[in-house]
Parts: sequence; structure tokens; C-alpha cells
Amino acid sequence: MPHVLFLPAQRSAEVSVGASLLEAAQACGVEIHIPCGGQGRCGRCAVVVQGGDGRLRRRSTIRLSPADIAAGYALACQSLVLGDLAVVVPPQEEIARHLVTAKHAVAVEPPAGYTVADQPLQAFFLALDPPSLADQTDDWSRLQRGLAGAYGVSGLTADMDLLRRLGEVLRSADWQVTAVVELDAWDRPAGPPRLVDLLPGRRTDALHAIAVDIGTTTVSLFLVDLMTGRVVARAADYNDQIRRGEDIISRIVYASRKAGNSQPAANSVNSANLVELQALVVGTINRLVEQACRRAGVEPKQVYKATVVGNPTMIHLFLGVPPEQIRLAPYIPALNQVPSLPGAAQALGLAIHPQATVDCLPGVASYVGADITAGVLSSGMHRSEALRLFIDIGTNGETVLGNADWLICCACSAGPAFEGAGVEHGTRAAAGAIEEVWINGDTGEPTYRTVGNLPPKGLCGSGLISLLAELFLAGLVDKRGRLNQGWPGLRDRPSLGPRVRRGDHGLEYVVAWAEETAIGRDIVLTEVDIDNLLRTKAAIFAGFTSLAEAVGVPLEAVEEVLIGGAFGQHINVEKAVEIGLLPDLGTGEGWSRFRFLGNTALNGAYLALVSRAMRQEVRNIANKMTYLELSADNRFYEQFMSAMFLPHTDARLFPSVASRNT
Amino acid sequence: MPVTIPQTKYAGKVREVTIGATRAEGGTRSRTVTVGGETTLPFLLHEGEMPHPPAVAVEICDRRPADWSPLLYEAWGEAVNDPATWARAAEAAGADLVLLHLTGPVQRADGSTPTAQEARQAVRRVLEATGLPLLVFGPGIADLDNELLVAVAEEAAGERLVLGVCEDKNYRTLVAAALAHGHLVDGRTPMDVNLAKQLMILIRDMGLPLERVLMDPSTGALGYGIEYGYSVMERLRLAALNGDAMTQQPMLVTPGEEAWRLKEAKVGDGGVPAAWGDWAERAITWEVLTATTLLHAGADVVCLRHPASVAEVKAVIARLMAGGKDGK
Ligand code: FES
Repeated sequence: MPHVLFLPAQRSAEVSVGASLLEAAQACGVEIHIPCGGQGRCGRCAVVVQGGDGRLRRRSTIRLSPADIAAGYALACQSLVLGDLAVVVPPQEEIARHLVTAKHAVAVEPPAGYTVADQPLQAFFLALDPPSLADQTDDWSRLQRGLAGAYGVSGLTADMDLLRRLGEVLRSADWQVTAVVELDAWDRPAGPPRLVDLLPGRRTDALHAIAVDIGTTTVSLFLVDLMTGRVVARAADYNDQIRRGEDIISRIVYASRKAGNSQPAANSVNSANLVELQALVVGTINRLVEQACRRAGVEPKQVYKATVVGNPTMIHLFLGVPPEQIRLAPYIPALNQVPSLPGAAQALGLAIHPQATVDCLPGVASYVGADITAGVLSSGMHRSEALRLFIDIGTNGETVLGNADWLICCACSAGPAFEGAGVEHGTRAAAGAIEEVWINGDTGEPTYRTVGNLPPKGLCGSGLISLLAELFLAGLVDKRGRLNQGWPGLRDRPSLGPRVRRGDHGLEYVVAWAEETAIGRDIVLTEVDIDNLLRTKAAIFAGFTSLAEAVGVPLEAVEEVLIGGAFGQHINVEKAVEIGLLPDLGTGEGWSRFRFLGNTALNGAYLALVSRAMRQEVRNIANKMTYLELSADNRFYEQFMSAMFLPHTDARLFPSVASRNT
Repeated sequence: MPVTIPQTKYAGKVREVTIGATRAEGGTRSRTVTVGGETTLPFLLHEGEMPHPPAVAVEICDRRPADWSPLLYEAWGEAVNDPATWARAAEAAGADLVLLHLTGPVQRADGSTPTAQEARQAVRRVLEATGLPLLVFGPGIADLDNELLVAVAEEAAGERLVLGVCEDKNYRTLVAAALAHGHLVDGRTPMDVNLAKQLMILIRDMGLPLERVLMDPSTGALGYGIEYGYSVMERLRLAALNGDAMTQQPMLVTPGEEAWRLKEAKVGDGGVPAAWGDWAERAITWEVLTATTLLHAGADVVCLRHPASVAEVKAVIARLMAGGKDGK
């Protein structure tokens, strides 16, 4: 009988010829993860076989590249033992890196050559000469003189509050102070410099600012140390405004109503509802600031700048500017290019330093905002020769097509389903979120993986995509997204057992039983959820296909598809193609044409925060981008309806899915 | 100067669908009706073929419906009280097909719920009364339709009935019944090209050959959105002729039902302005014009209610099939 040795565990098993490596591992208690239940579909049971020539038979090598196979990789569930072998079981993270379809978010790094000296915001240490009878200069002039002498900063301005505290800070710190100075802003390149804060002692070890993405559904934030340019903490949560409407239109409608009344308020900044929405989003941001600062051990009042992105409606509501014109022809927002707002933190209610500047990045049109210009900035597509398609899989389904020469964009109301909202057991991509699901095609039983390997709390975007794709491939939902329940033709199974059942909202599929979850309830996906997912994916698909059609560019001509979205750390493009969310560019090489960029809007805000050049570039992007209005376009509706199917009404658009599905 | 009429040749062809089965084919019909097979737009016979004329189905009910126009009761007389008599009258009026509509609680004067047993009996009696192929539609209440039509399918096994109406919510049950007992289905979607295609795909995915499927794109009546329905049918047919396999089904429409639920047809003299003219003439014209409009959009089966309309529509079809000359 062949002898199989497992490393690094140093355990071995004797198995009969023809047994699988998985059986061998199980025989000697070596744990190998089998997310798809050993069906040879997920590729996560990969091991490295040493000296396997002739002593191993691979039944299937799907998910392994030729290079992997040459390096000895084999799927434990699909490889049969013919002779003595030594097998290395690699750690999970290493396997994940080998999976060609799992796209991991690119890392967020400061731009090359980053130095704090280039920043508009500076922390200057000053050791001032104390006043004396011989030197009777007043405190403010003394401070100015010190800054001019040591750092060449002249023409300093300051606000009242600081002037009132000035004398006390200087004296209590024994004239050793750190001046936080904002030298200039993108729209005031010549200054004048502004004293933002005056701290006792030498405080030049760190200088904090935040980058914020206000999404319709999710608000995310980076806390950045400008001394190093690095992100020191992150936080994200649902936008509290959701309780006043899920999409931007309902928020605009709400904002323009008089409180407790269905009559529109007269275009008023004092509308109680507008004030409420402003407070809700600021409350969300403040909560995130608090979280991030706590984690990094930073005082929120020592965050001196906020760079903010969001779609135009979100920016209007954040600033408390009436948004209703966004919704009314000719759809002209009050602000696309927002001036920099020195010291606006206090007026907006942000719980950072009251004199911090708030810098909102520029948008393009009523429905394409700074989240997209920032997204393009972070993707670099505006500098590439190659034609790229950038898809933001978020509530507003923004899409940009183009290259260094031209950029065209569109937006469509896709809905929040892939952010885990509007789905019964949806959740954000945070610890405990189910992010990957595999369903055994014979038994209908699922296996899943959660973020952080914790008991599941719910399904996040990537989990929902993966679950829907698996339900579809396993024949548990039909192409219209309806759960099958025991019709006689279904693979000779008269009934599907307990996983498909009738719940409060029609049929539902149970992904996790109450006792295995962190929430003490069954985690299910209902037919209503599936319908929401279908609508969302259909809108996104219709968006980019209409865009490509309008420009006359076939999707195959796109060299790279860039994906942005709040999917946490990864998205499986194969699954996203299987449900018809992303275009089918073929398997293998096709998968390599996708790149996952993570939360591109936030990444772009971060870049504009830490780099003057990037701040300038985002303006150029906004000026250069053409906007295509889809609502004026029959094509969109047509495309939407044909995409309301799994994967699509026109099967020819998804050849690689069709070939697996029959 | 000689004028050359431009001609378009299409690569695609509408599927041929045969309704009903003779004894030799496992049923009891005296003849079958085949529709479809077009290689051109409707009646453009100089461009391509239209091997079968559109068929006229006459709609009857399993018992006297409570909500029909008085004009229809008048026209059919005593026949409306008995499906077998009514079927014979329909055949006599020139029907190519009989559409048996099973009434539900709303259409029944006593509000009773039909049973599977009643449905079986009605179908049995109609099959015995006429040799024409049969379409059987349920009352339009999902659960009830499923119950009645599954029973009907079993009762009439092998007859190649058209079971309807099959929609995306209930298609599994109806298609399974059609598969099990050798019938056809009428797949209806609400006036949308993509939805129509999607339902055809779902039905095919269950294994029912498309030679046993009619496509019912639904339609409005004249003056009530017929343009929209027309345009959807036209686009479906153009897609079919251009080779889109999922649109190549013959189309069934129900102008009788559409026209006769309107005020123009239902409300008699006194209830409407005098300028509207003679009630019967108006109502029948409404049904005929709705039907002929849909024939031009590509309808292969038109379901009608009034015997006079049947005669007129059949005459129109005959003329059109004869290339515009007086046919017969
Ligand atoms: S491929 Fe082996 S367990 Fe999934």
C-alpha cells in the first residue's frame, strides 16, 4: 500500500492505490480545507506534491495554472495516490494567492517619493524667545516672526478662537510650541498661510488628516499620518441617512420636504429635513473618526484636514446645500467644483479640529461625482494608453470607459444590494461576513468562508455574488432567479430537503443554521433578495454595455476591467461573471483582464489628500470626463431588461457560463 | 418606367407548431392545425413564405360566464350554458381551434370555486363534441390554474392541447404537465421583448421542445395601447427572422378578450354618446380591427369571441393570403 507523508505536520498514512490525497489526509488527521466539498471546483484544497511523477493521477486541474502544476501543485480532492508521496499542505493565504479568479484589493501606499515637506499642512516647532522689557513685541507678532525666521512663512492668518488662546498657550508651554499651519490650498496656491492650531511643546512626530468617502449606502474613512503619508487606521459603516431613504432620489425628496409634511419646502437651507440629513451623515463620519482615532491612539481634535468624496447628492447633503436641482431638469447641481473650505469643520459639525479645512473633490455632473473622479484617479486609467473599463459596483453603478485621450462615464441607480443593504441577511464586508460560498451540486449543501473565520453574521457583497452563482450553477435557482422547489424534472430529486423552504418572503435558501451563526438565527437568501441582486447586477451590466455601445466600442476591445467597490478584501470574478454582473471575457486569460481596486473612491480621496499633484490631477479628470445621461437612452432600459436573467437573456454574451451550465 | 420592388431575405424562420393530435398521433382530433413557418414579415408573400395561414380560435367557457357582454350572449344564444353545445356552435361559426376558458369564482355567477373534477368533465365533453384541436386556459389565478390544468392535462393525455396561460410564476407546473402528458403551452409575458425571450428560455430549459410552445406577448386592444403591443410583436418577429432562436415561436394573441372588456364593446346604447353609433356594429368592429391589426404584427393564432368577428377575420386572412386579391 502506498505511503503518503504530509508536511509540515509530519504525519503519514497508508492508503490503497486510487485513494484521493484528501482521503489520505483525513486518514491521518491532517486538516485540508474543502470549501466546495471536494468537487474540484474551488481550488482551495491545493497541496504541493513532491516527486509526484507517475505516483499521482490528477483527475482535474481546474484552478491551477500550468506553472502551478509544473511546481507540483495538485488538488487534494481530485488527485489519486498511485505510489509513495510526500505532500506539503501550504497555508490558506498562500493558496488564495494562487487562485486566478480571486482578485485581491490592491494595497494602499503613499505615492513614490512622499515627503511631508511637500504638504500644504505643516507642523512647525518653534522655540521662541520669551518677551522681555528689551523685546516688547506682542505675542502674535512674536509667533509670526518666529515662523518667518525659522520656516520662511509670512502673512500668517488665524481665527479668533486661536487669537484668544494664544497668550496662554505660549506662556504655559514656556514659548516652546508647535504651530500647525496650512500654507495654501489647491484654489489658493499663493496662500496666505493659516494658523490652524497651536500646540504646547514639540509635536512634530505625527500630523493627522482624514480621507472620507461618503457613499449613499456606506461611509468609509482613512486616518492618515501626513508625516509618513501612511494610512494608520480605517473605519467604515452604513450611512445613517439610509433610514431616510435608500437611494439618492428619495434622499433628495426627503431633504426638500418640510418636516412632517409632504409639501416641498421652498428651496431652503433651513429645511429641517435637510438639517437632519446633514447631521446624520456627519454623525456617521464622527463615529468613524472616533473609532479610527481610538485604534490609532490619536486625539480626534488633532485631525487637521478632511478630504471628502461622494456623489453630488452626498456632497450637497454633507455640506447642507439644498440638493433638489440635481433631480430637476436641466439637472444642474449647486456645486460640482467645491472651493476648499478652510476651517469649515466646525460649521459642518465634524468632530475633528474645528479649524480643519474640508476639501471636497470635484465631480462631473449631477449623478457623477467626486467618488468617480477620485476612483479614476486611483485607477490610473486616465494615464494609460490601453482602453480600460472602470466599474464601481456600488449603489449608483458608476462606470467609466476610456484611456489617456478620452474618458466617458455614466451612472445608473443600481441599488445597495452588493453592499449588503436591502438584502435580508446582508451585511458589510466586516468580520463574520460570509464572503465565499460553495454548494455541492448533488446534495444542495453549502460550505462557506467568513471574514476572519468567525461564526457568520450575514452575507457581504462577495458572499452574495458567490452564493447566487452557486445556487444558479447547482440548479437551485432558475435563470429568472426563482428558487426551484421539487419540480419533478430537477435532477430526479422530488424535493430539495430542508435547505429550500417557504419563509415570510416566499421561498428561501438556508445558508447557515442558527446554531452555527453569530446572530442566533438562520441566515437565508430569499427570492426577494435574489430579485434585488438581479436588479442591481442588471443595472450595472446595462450601464457599462450601454456606455460601450454609445461609444461604439465592443467590450472585447477593453484591455482591462477595473473593479471598484466595498467588497472588503476580495471579489471572485468568475462568480461575478457567472451571474452576469461582469462581462464574460473568457476563462483563464480572460480572468487576468480583471483587476480589483477595492474602494477606489476612498483611495482617490487619500491620494488627493497626500499629494498636490494628485489633487491637481483629479481636477483635470473632472474637466476631461464626458457624461452620458442614460435616462435619455432607450438602450439602457433594453439592456437592463435583457440582463434581468442569469447570466443574461442573450446566452451568446456568456459563452463560458453556458458551457458549464448545460 | 418599371419599378423594382425591393425585397428583403431573412435567414431565420418561425418554428412550425402543430396543435392537436389525430387518432394516428395518439389523440382523438379529426384534424390538426399547424401554425408558424414564416420566412418573411406577415403577408409579404413576395419576399418569403407563409406556409400556414394564421388560425382563428374561438373562445368558449366551461359554463356561462358572468362578466361577458350581453351582445355575446345574444350571439351565442343557449349555447353559452353548455360547453359541448358551445364548442359545436364555434365550429359551425368557422373556428379553426376551440379555446376553452375555465371560469373562476369571479366569472361564475354563484362565485363558486371550480374543482379539478369539473374541469376534467368540461374538457372531456368539449373533446367529444368537436374534432377541432383545443386550447385550455385556466381562470388566471395561479394556484387554481395549476390545480385545474394539471388535471386537464392528465384527462386529455396525448391530445396536444395548448395549456395556458403559462407565466414566469407558474411555468414549472404547466410545463411539467405538458411534458408528462404530451401537450403544448402558451407562454405569456407582459409586452416586453426580453421577458418573452426569457420565458421561452425557461420553458426550453425544462426540456419541453420549442415545437410545443406558443409565444403570447400580450397586447392591448385598439385604442388601449395596441401600438405598444404591436411594436413588441413586430420586434419579436424581426428578431426571429434575423435568426434569434428564442423568438422564433408562433405568436398567440387574445384580441377577443381585450376588445370585449372595453366600454366601447360592453356598454350598450344609452350608456355612451349617441355619436358612437350602433352598439353591435361598433363592438364587432372593435374586435375585428384589433385582431387584424395584430395579424399584421405577426399573430399566428388570434382568439376571438363573436361569431360575426370570426367570419370577418377569416375573410381578411383569406384575402391577405391570396396576395390582396379576393381570396377563397
Ligand atoms: S477543489 Fe478540492 S475541495 Fe474544492
